Amino acid sequence: MEIRPILSALVRSKTGALLIIAQVALTLAILGNALPIVLQRLEVSARPTGTDEANVFYTRLFGFKPDIDVPTMVADDYALIRAIPGVEAVARTNQAPLFQSGWNLSFGALREGNAEPVDVTNAAFYYTDGSLVDSLGLALIEGRDFRDDDYEQINSGLADIRPKQVMLTRAMAEKLFPDESRFVGRSVFLGSGADAQEMRVIGVVEKMQSPWAQNSEMAELSVIVPIFDLQPSAAYVVRTAPGELDRVMRDVEAALTTARDDRVHIDTRSVAEARASRYRADRALAWLLLSLTGLLVLVTASGIVGMASLWVNQRRKQIGIRRAVGARRVDILRYFLVENLMVTSAGIALGLVLAFALNHLLVQQLSIARMPLGPLGWGMLGLWLLGLLAALGPALRASRVPPAVATRTA
Amino acid sequence: MLSMRKLSKVYRTHMIETHALREIDIEVGEGEFVAVTGPSGSGKTTFLNIAGLLEDFSSGEFLLDGINVHGLNDDARSRLRNQKIGFIFQGFNLIADLNLFDNVDVPLRYRGFNSAERRRRIEAALGKVGLASRMKYYPAELSGGQQQRVAIARALAGEPRLLLADEPTGNLDSQMARGVLELLEQINAEGTTIVMVTHDLELAARAQRNVHIVDGQVSDLDHGHVTLRSVLG
Amino acid sequence: MFSYYLRLGLSSLRRNPLLTALMVLTLGVGVAASMSTFAVMRAMSGDPIAHKSDRLLVVQVDNSPAGERNDRGEPSDHLSWLDAKALLANGDGLRRSAMYGVGTVAEPPDSDARLRVQGLAVGADFFAMFEVPFDSGGGWTAEDDERAANRVVITRALAQKSFGAQPAVGRSLRLFDREYEVSGVIGDWQPQPRYYWLEAGNGNLFGEIEDLFFPLNNALSIEESPQGNVSCSGEGPTEPGYRGLLDSECVFMQFWVELADAGDRDAYADRLSGHVASQKQLGRLPLGERSRLLDVREWMVAQRVLGDDTRLQVLLAFAFLLVCIVNTVGLLLAKFSQHSGEIGVRRALGATRGQVFQQYLMQAGVVGIVGGLLGVGLTFVGLWLVGQQSADIAQAARMNPTTLLLTLATAVAAAVLAGLLPTWRACQVTPAVQLKTQ
Repeated sequence: MEIRPILSALVRSKTGALLIIAQVALTLAILGNALPIVLQRLEVSARPTGTDEANVFYTRLFGFKPDIDVPTMVADDYALIRAIPGVEAVARTNQAPLFQSGWNLSFGALREGNAEPVDVTNAAFYYTDGSLVDSLGLALIEGRDFRDDDYEQINSGLADIRPKQVMLTRAMAEKLFPDESRFVGRSVFLGSGADAQEMRVIGVVEKMQSPWAQNSEMAELSVIVPIFDLQPSAAYVVRTAPGELDRVMRDVEAALTTARDDRVHIDTRSVAEARASRYRADRALAWLLLSLTGLLVLVTASGIVGMASLWVNQRRKQIGIRRAVGARRVDILRYFLVENLMVTSAGIALGLVLAFALNHLLVQQLSIARMPLGPLGWGMLGLWLLGLLAALGPALRASRVPPAVATRTA
Repeated sequence: MLSMRKLSKVYRTHMIETHALREIDIEVGEGEFVAVTGPSGSGKTTFLNIAGLLEDFSSGEFLLDGINVHGLNDDARSRLRNQKIGFIFQGFNLIADLNLFDNVDVPLRYRGFNSAERRRRIEAALGKVGLASRMKYYPAELSGGQQQRVAIARALAGEPRLLLADEPTGNLDSQMARGVLELLEQINAEGTTIVMVTHDLELAARAQRNVHIVDGQVSDLDHGHVTLRSVLG
Repeated sequence: MFSYYLRLGLSSLRRNPLLTALMVLTLGVGVAASMSTFAVMRAMSGDPIAHKSDRLLVVQVDNSPAGERNDRGEPSDHLSWLDAKALLANGDGLRRSAMYGVGTVAEPPDSDARLRVQGLAVGADFFAMFEVPFDSGGGWTAEDDERAANRVVITRALAQKSFGAQPAVGRSLRLFDREYEVSGVIGDWQPQPRYYWLEAGNGNLFGEIEDLFFPLNNALSIEESPQGNVSCSGEGPTEPGYRGLLDSECVFMQFWVELADAGDRDAYADRLSGHVASQKQLGRLPLGERSRLLDVREWMVAQRVLGDDTRLQVLLAFAFLLVCIVNTVGLLLAKFSQHSGEIGVRRALGATRGQVFQQYLMQAGVVGIVGGLLGVGLTFVGLWLVGQQSADIAQAARMNPTTLLLTLATAVAAAVLAGLLPTWRACQVTPAVQLKTQ
């Protein structure tokens, strides 16, 4: 292995080598930091809501006249909606996963050694006078759904909501009662201190994301309480038969808007549309970064090809001489590939340092997470491979330089 | 025109000192046609580079057209070279990507002449070497002899005081060589000083005077300027 | 000599089109990536009211209870009516306004249309403070404020939808199920961002302004619920409903003050501390010392108008540009190294190093200009790509003359920077050495 002579030859033409090292290093630094962000954003935007997403939509209307008889309005709405073919279930509610607006309240539980309930966490506060389990297509894993006699009527704008029963998501249950595995019958407290409202857990669902689907555990912390709201808001979650979503959405919107003239339609959107909206920024950033790194790899590859070609051209005579004194084609090939490997490796080594430095900057200034080593490792491997492939062409051309070149050219 | 006194040039690398020129004395008067001869490795190329202000020298004195060259910086040497000297190389050294007009134009650009003046000079120079009709041709389209004539035109266009020629006929066949030499003689007859470096003694004989350099030292033949120096000086 | 070098440079670049294309492409892509992200960043950090931004302040009164689990360590974006009321009563500063957002339905006269509209309840000073231009009419008077009159200022769009081509000022528009008299129609007002009412997490920073503005006192009198972030920490409202909200530590309003001069800021801060101190005596504001004043720019920073994601993109895009520049250095080195013969001849013929430098730097410059032109085209693509992230960013991601010029300038600067080393190398070619190897 002719490492030392290759090295000393490189040192003599060090400008070109340094340029490649710089490009490889910067590429690794950017790759190592950008790829984890891409992966994380794509992962976040793929998280399931826990609902039967493909078949669920949410429609909202706002009653703006005073003295609307809400129970009648709601009963009429339910009847209207259920009459539309393709509707499998409907429930009135105050918010829906991924729709990005709603209630967020704090909840507590009893702890050893505390007379009063202790504040544990905030969570998304869903209330409904129907079955969210049915209408969202949630998976009930313990206990039961609300029954007809569980619902209380209350005007959320005029009075405090003090439910007596509650359903939790699994994540919320585990957060409130760590180390437990059965949750039905336990007490959850809305608010804290002496005035907190005690609610009994009657059921647990596997998953139901909060409306904001935050990039943290908060996304999975939700509760549902059985409340019939006397405020004139008409917001319904509807689950349709498979394949019927678009038509049913149009039909329901038309039916509800034409039913009365004391309401104005706010919007009717599917959960899928809400997902696109919620994760629009994350997805776009992921694609942006992916495009950037793709271009980066192309630029660096072209740089390596160019430099390798240049070195081969500059050393035609030298190659000829080597061949003339006995080197085989494969020896020349190996020479150039080893040379390229050394340069790429130096670039990768520098790149590791730069990657950590860049990551440090990002963590400090932009609250990016610490760089995981996995993508960095793949990046290194990828760059080695890239360097090899890029240098292969010029190296093969070098190996084909005939020995006669030694004597022919001046 | 050209006056070198006790001029030396030493090349130093890590461990080796090469004395390319050892305290040479050379005088070339205005209007002379001098041939500098010597075997390869004798130092005549070094002499030419120094005479042409392409290289600096280690010690001694060099006056070019009365100007003391010592201590001039690179820019000043370039200016002097541009104004006073015309070069003719063995390998012609025309710029392949430029046509004849543009090739002859190159030194004039660095002189700062306006475009009308440059055009006048280029046309005159190409006319003098008989290639005025081929101004738009490219070097690759000409024969060796024609290319060398373009190089001569380029050398002349700036109306130099001194013409330095390095093996001007080395790459030409005998017929073309004759043509070039006749052209040089004609130019000399019109008053331009010419110093020609060659290893061809027959060619050298055509000059008025020969200067012979061996091992970095001068032995001046002909016309009474005999200065023999022993090797051990 | 400039045109000579230009001509030489152009023909040299034309002779090796592949290499030239590669250089132009690399530079163009690098410049486009960095300029499109940079343009967005500039648009999002621009000062919307530069001549006044240092004396237009948001007042943040921190009424968080002590020892809260999820305490952010700084005041919330909003304040309570208890504090807003006191600040209004103090009357400090040149002008002041408390505000909160509402949503309602507009029922235009002579029409069945029902328009869902967004509104902002503000004080009479609002329009002068934020220099809102009017097509016709103007804001309401201080007396209107005091009487909690049914007045409203609407946008041109709402005026069109409600009254068609007819003048709107003086007409009546039904809102909140009541009749409101239009006192003014807003002209072209699109502050970027909508800095006067920023709620973190609610997009629409760069979107349309609200449809209507009406007196805060009116909103209070008709008990119009806030539409926007309402946050009640610690003990909730003592009584339910709107009155309970107003009397509680629930925060849902924002408070702006305009000072006569930026130097008055300290004096106002003292008055604010005075308010906090007196409230502490009443048992409120346990963390009140965290209350603060922010001018427009500080407010935009605190509200993260310029998001972290945007800054990340700019950073990575400029790192990419750096790689492109390094790449171009290599390409130019390779290109110029093929010219050593010609350089040697030119030097022998009398070119100074400086002249060779100019000639080859010019080539780099030409690559820069062509790369810049390509970059401008690619920047359109880049802006579109960046704008995919959100409606806000799409609004900010627009090409304008400044961005165009900046793209060209950056490309030329990058090319010249990349060209420095190769050009310097070219100048080092000594005439003697080259001639010997001819």
